[in-house]
Amino acid sequence: MFLAETNPLNDSALIFPALECFHIVGFAICVGTIGLVDLRLLGVGLNRQKTAELAQDVAPWTLVGLALILLSGPLMFSSDPDMYYLNPSFQIKMVCFALALIYNYTIRRRVALRGGTGAGAKVVGAVSLLLWISVIFGGIFIAFTGQM
Amino acid sequence: MLTFAQWVQLTGVATAIRELWLPYPIILSLHLSFIALAAGMILVTNLRLLGIAMRKWPVADVIDQLRWPKRIVFLLIITCGLLLASSKAEEYYYNVFFWTKMSLLGLIAVHGLAFRGSVYQKAAEFDRAGRIPGKAKLAAALSLVLWIGVAIAGRGIGYIEPPLDKLHAELHPVSIEQGR
Repeated sequence: MFLAETNPLNDSALIFPALECFHIVGFAICVGTIGLVDLRLLGVGLNRQKTAELAQDVAPWTLVGLALILLSGPLMFSSDPDMYYLNPSFQIKMVCFALALIYNYTIRRRVALRGGTGAGAKVVGAVSLLLWISVIFGGIFIAFTGQM
Repeated sequence: MLTFAQWVQLTGVATAIRELWLPYPIILSLHLSFIALAAGMILVTNLRLLGIAMRKWPVADVIDQLRWPKRIVFLLIITCGLLLASSKAEEYYYNVFFWTKMSLLGLIAVHGLAFRGSVYQKAAEFDRAGRIPGKAKLAAALSLVLWIGVAIAGRGIGYIEPPLDKLHAELHPVSIEQGR
């Protein structure tokens, strides 16, 4: 396993910020495309499109975002594993991320592809948005709980 | 400008955001959540103009339906951004990434004005003609590059150490002690 002291990532001060940039652009693409479908489920935005077709159209881009996140995230983690592992915000973020991901590819996917409307679809869209927003909160708070 | 920054920073709201532990990260998280939503809308609009995604949909459909959601999300992003910047206004005055980000946002405003009439309001014509002109594709590509630049510059802001010797320590000793 990586240790912070022996990790070549920490040899250059520029690698971590560069990884962060990939992480941020990736999360914006991933959450942004998921958010478009969630907003559609809530009846906001691209309403002239069928939910199922919108979901299928943006799905590859969600994967592009996810790939960027999953490539950069673990590398960032490896730069200082103890700090992240022990950080409560990071732990919450990972739990929310796992939940959001599972939810996205099970319940929400099924509802979106069925083209659901009405109160049920709205709840599904709102839950998805809230899950992803909690991931973002968890990520931001890592930097603010570390110094405690 | 510096005087203005110092004044803004001493207003009640800015002081509260700076000196309490919770408001700053909460507003920052909201800022980023709204940015993610905006990013989805911007990405889809530009990919459609480039002919890469959503090709089944009329360009006008995509642009028109996202116009108001984008405006609302931008308003929320700017509100959060102003609160964040005001709480550390004096520090940001010396922050090169802050000014890079503001300059890129300025360029985005110019981009919007430059292409508004010839691209964003002509989407229905592209649909009737069945092809998207090079100018529209250029606008879309430039928009993507500029927004990615804004995201990177925004992250960069947090990497600049505040120049403690230049800040008015006697005005707000608390933030100096915290060093952030």
